Amino acid sequence: MGSIEAPASAENGSIPATCAINGDQRYAPASDGVPPRPSYPAGMTPETDALRKRRSSILPLEVGTRVLCRWRDGKYHPVKVIERRKMHAGGPNDYEYYVHYTEFNRRLDEWVKLEQLDLDSVEAVVDEKVEDKVTSLKMTRHQKRKIDETHVEGHEELDAASLREHEEFTKVKNIATIELGRYEIETWYFSPFPPEYNDSLKLYFCEFCLNFMKRKEQLQRHMRKCDLKHPPGDEIYRSGTLSMFEVDGKKNKVYGQNLCYLAKLFLDHKTLYYDVDLFLFYVLCECDDRGCHMVGYFSKEKHSEESYNLACILTLPPYQRKGYGKFLIAFSYELSKKEGKVGTPERPLSDLGLLSYRGYWTRVLLDILKKHKGNISIKELSDMTAIKAEDILATLQSLELIQYRKGQHVICADPKVLDRHLKAAGRGGLEVDVSKLIWTPYKEQG
Amino acid sequence: MSRLSFRPRPLDIHKKLPIVKSIKDFEDDETPTSTRNAQILRLAAEAETEVHQIPSKKVAPEIPTPQFVVVDTYERDYSRTFSQPTSYLRGRGARAEIGEFVEYDLDNEDEDWLQEYNSERKILLPEKLESLLFKLEVLDHKARERAGVITPTLGSPIPVLLQPDAAIEALQALSIRYGVFQSIYNYWKEKRERWQKPILRRLQPPPPVNDTNPYNVFRPREKAHRLHTRRMQRRENNVQSFEKLRQVRRNLDQAKTILEALIKREEKKRDVMESEVSLQRIQMKYKHETELLEDSLALPGFPPFPCKFGSSEEEFVDSDDVANSRLHTRPAALQNPLFMDSKPVMISSGGMRRELRGRHVPHGWLHKMDPLEPVLLFTKPLDPEKLAAAGIVPPSPSPIKNGASAPPYKFHGRIGRGGRLVFDRWNPLLHTPIDCGDSFYMPPKPRPSTYN
Repeated sequence: MGSIEAPASAENGSIPATCAINGDQRYAPASDGVPPRPSYPAGMTPETDALRKRRSSILPLEVGTRVLCRWRDGKYHPVKVIERRKMHAGGPNDYEYYVHYTEFNRRLDEWVKLEQLDLDSVEAVVDEKVEDKVTSLKMTRHQKRKIDETHVEGHEELDAASLREHEEFTKVKNIATIELGRYEIETWYFSPFPPEYNDSLKLYFCEFCLNFMKRKEQLQRHMRKCDLKHPPGDEIYRSGTLSMFEVDGKKNKVYGQNLCYLAKLFLDHKTLYYDVDLFLFYVLCECDDRGCHMVGYFSKEKHSEESYNLACILTLPPYQRKGYGKFLIAFSYELSKKEGKVGTPERPLSDLGLLSYRGYWTRVLLDILKKHKGNISIKELSDMTAIKAEDILATLQSLELIQYRKGQHVICADPKVLDRHLKAAGRGGLEVDVSKLIWTPYKEQG
Repeated sequence: MSRLSFRPRPLDIHKKLPIVKSIKDFEDDETPTSTRNAQILRLAAEAETEVHQIPSKKVAPEIPTPQFVVVDTYERDYSRTFSQPTSYLRGRGARAEIGEFVEYDLDNEDEDWLQEYNSERKILLPEKLESLLFKLEVLDHKARERAGVITPTLGSPIPVLLQPDAAIEALQALSIRYGVFQSIYNYWKEKRERWQKPILRRLQPPPPVNDTNPYNVFRPREKAHRLHTRRMQRRENNVQSFEKLRQVRRNLDQAKTILEALIKREEKKRDVMESEVSLQRIQMKYKHETELLEDSLALPGFPPFPCKFGSSEEEFVDSDDVANSRLHTRPAALQNPLFMDSKPVMISSGGMRRELRGRHVPHGWLHKMDPLEPVLLFTKPLDPEKLAAAGIVPPSPSPIKNGASAPPYKFHGRIGRGGRLVFDRWNPLLHTPIDCGDSFYMPPKPRPSTYN
C-alpha cells in the first residue's frame, strides 16, 4: 500500500508511530479530542523549548508544504498542502489544511486539522518554485509528457497547460458529502454548483428528481411534494429489479443538469461546459417499493461526429464493485449495435474507467477468439461487437495476441493464454439481456 | 521483452488474420523460427506469471473507495408507495409543462426570512411561501416574455418586470391577505434584485457562449454541427465567399493565359536557338575558306577585329550561354554571305567577299574540306620562329602509337584564346584522333592587330 510509518525523529529519539492501534478506520473527527501525536505518545515526552520554537516558526503551514498526515487508515502518508483556511472559531494561527495525498488520486484530497499532521516531518522549504519549473511551458514536449505520465495518473491525455488550469480551478473540493436517497456519500472531486451553494459543505439530493438543497428540512419538505419515483424518461430495459431509463437532456433540462452536477462530484475530468440538450442520459436503477433508485448512469451525445457512444459514465460509490459499471459499458455497446454503428467512449478515460473498458474489451474479444473458426479480420470483430477497430487493435496488442510472423499478422489464440487473460480481466458482471431492450435510436424517434 | 528485429507492416483491419489456436502451431512450422518460437513460448510463460503479477501490480495503487453511510431517516423520508407497472414506464412531459407542480424549493435565505416573519405567530406555512415564490417567478417570466426581453444568455442583470398589482390579480385564487402578499412580494423582489437573475433555476438563462468563468456552466453550444476540418469550418456559403471564389477563378484564368503565352515564347526561343545552331554549323563550314580568302587577298579596307577579340576576357566564353557566344561570333558571322543583316555597310562588305569567294570555290573547300575537321574559333596558329626563339619544341608523334596499323598522329599547334600553347592530338570538338596526314585543316592566321 505504500503507507509510510512516521519516521523516528532524530531530535528526541522517540519511537516510531504506531497509530494503527487506533481501531477506527475512519479518521477521528476533531470533536473526539486530540489524538496522540505520533512522535510524542501521550504522557511520554514533554515538548522541549526548541521544538516548540520550531513549531511556531513553521506555523501556519504555507501552501505547498510537504508533510506527513494521518489518514483514515491510521497511518501517516506524505501529503502536500493545497490550500488552507482559518478555523471559524480560532486564534489567528488556527488553520485547517486541504491536503493532497501524493500517493493517491486527487479524489482523496481532504480538509484536515492540524492534529493530523506530523509537524516534525515538515520539509523546510516550500517547493513552489520547483513545482513551477516542473509544469513550466518552457519544457520540451517530451519532458512535459514524461512528467504528465509519471506524476499525474489518469491525466495522460491532457496537455500540461490545460491540466494546470484544471487543477487550479478544481483544486479544492467544495462539497464534502452528499445525501442521496439511502446513502450519505463522501464526494471525490470539485463540482461547479451555482454560486448560491458556495457556502455549504453538504448537499441533500432528492434521489428521484436530483434537486439539491442545503438543509435536511428542505429535502424533507421536497420529498413530501416530489411526484417522481423514477428518472423522468422512458424505461427502455427491465430485467428483474434492474431498469434503465433514457432521459432526453432537452426535454428534462433541469434533471440533466442536476445529474451532471452530481456526477461531477465523482468524475475528475467531466466537463459541464456545454448544456445538456445535446445529450441523452441512460440512468440505471434498482427498483423497489420506494421507487427506482439510481445506481449509475452514462450519457451519450445525440449526434456524435467522432462515433462516441458514451460521454460520461459513473457508478455511484455505494453501488461500486458490484458489476454495474460493466453493465453500463455493455449496454452502451448494445445500443450501438441496435444503431448499426461502431462506438467508442469519449476520451480521456479516468483511471477507473480505463480499467473497466479494458476488461470489457478483453472479455468480449477473447470470448469470440476462443470460439471462432477460421480467419478473422479486425473489421469483422468490430462489426460483431460494435467496438471501434482502434480499440480492438489496442486491446489485442496490449495483450500481445497479435504476432507478426513470416510477413503477416496472426492472432495468437492459444486457449490457455486466452483463459489467463480472461481471468485477469475479471468477471463480466451483470449480463445485458438484449431481448429485454425495447428501444428506438434517437434518430428514428419522431 | 525483446523486440523483433524487423518492423512489422502496419496491420490492415480489413485483412483476414489467421487465428493460431496453439503455440505448437508455431513449432510445426518448417521454417527455422526457433528464436521466435522461444519468444512466443516465453510470452506464454509470462502470461502465466502475469496472472499473479497483475493483481498485485494494478491493485496496489488502487484506492479504497471513499466511504458512505446509510441515512437513518431514509425509511421515514421516502414512502413505500411505488408499484412498478407491468409495462415499461413512459416519461411524461417535463415538470414545467405539468403546471401545478411547485418547482421551487425554499433555500436557507427563504427559511430564515420565514422564521423571522413567523417569529411572533405562525402566519405563513413554508409550503405556501414556496408556492408563492414559484408563482411570482413564473409570472415575472411571462411578463418578460410578453415584453420581449427574454435574453438567450445571461449577459446583463435581469430586472423584475412583474408589478405587484398584476401579481395580486393573478394570484387572487390563492386567497392570501394583502399584507402577507405585500411582504412576500417585497422579499422576493429584494432577493431577485440581489441575485440579478431568476431564482428558479429553470428560468435562468445560460451563460454566454464566450464566457470563460469555469463556474458558469451549461453554455449553449455555438453550432450543433461541427465540421471536420479547419478548412471546412472556415468556409461559409454566403456572398462574401462567393466573391472570394470568383476572385480565385479569375486569378487562375489569368495564370493559365500567362502560362500559355509562356509556352509560346519558349517554343519561339527554341526555334531561334535551333536556327542559331544550324547557322553556326554552316558558318564553321565556311570559316576556313573565308580565312583563306582573307589571307590571300589582304583586303586593305577590311575593318580589323576588335582588340578584345582573343584577349584573356574571352576565356569566359566557353562557359557562357549561347546568347553570349552569339554576340562574340557575330563579327565572324558577318562574313557569312547567308547571314542577312540589315546593316547596309555589312551587306556591302559581305557582298564583296562573296565575289571573292566565288572565284576560289573550285580549288578550295568544296573538295578538300573534311566536314568533320574541327574549326576552332578564336585560336591562332603558332609561329614556328617564335617557338624556336623561345626554345619550345613541338612534341613528336607518340612512339607507342606509331604502330603499323595506326595512322601516325600529328600534333597541331595553336595558341589558345588565353594565350596558351596547345598541341592537339585529339580533336576537342569531335573527340576523335586528329589525322593530319590527309587534313587540309589550316588554323586561321593571326590578325596583325591582335598578334603583334
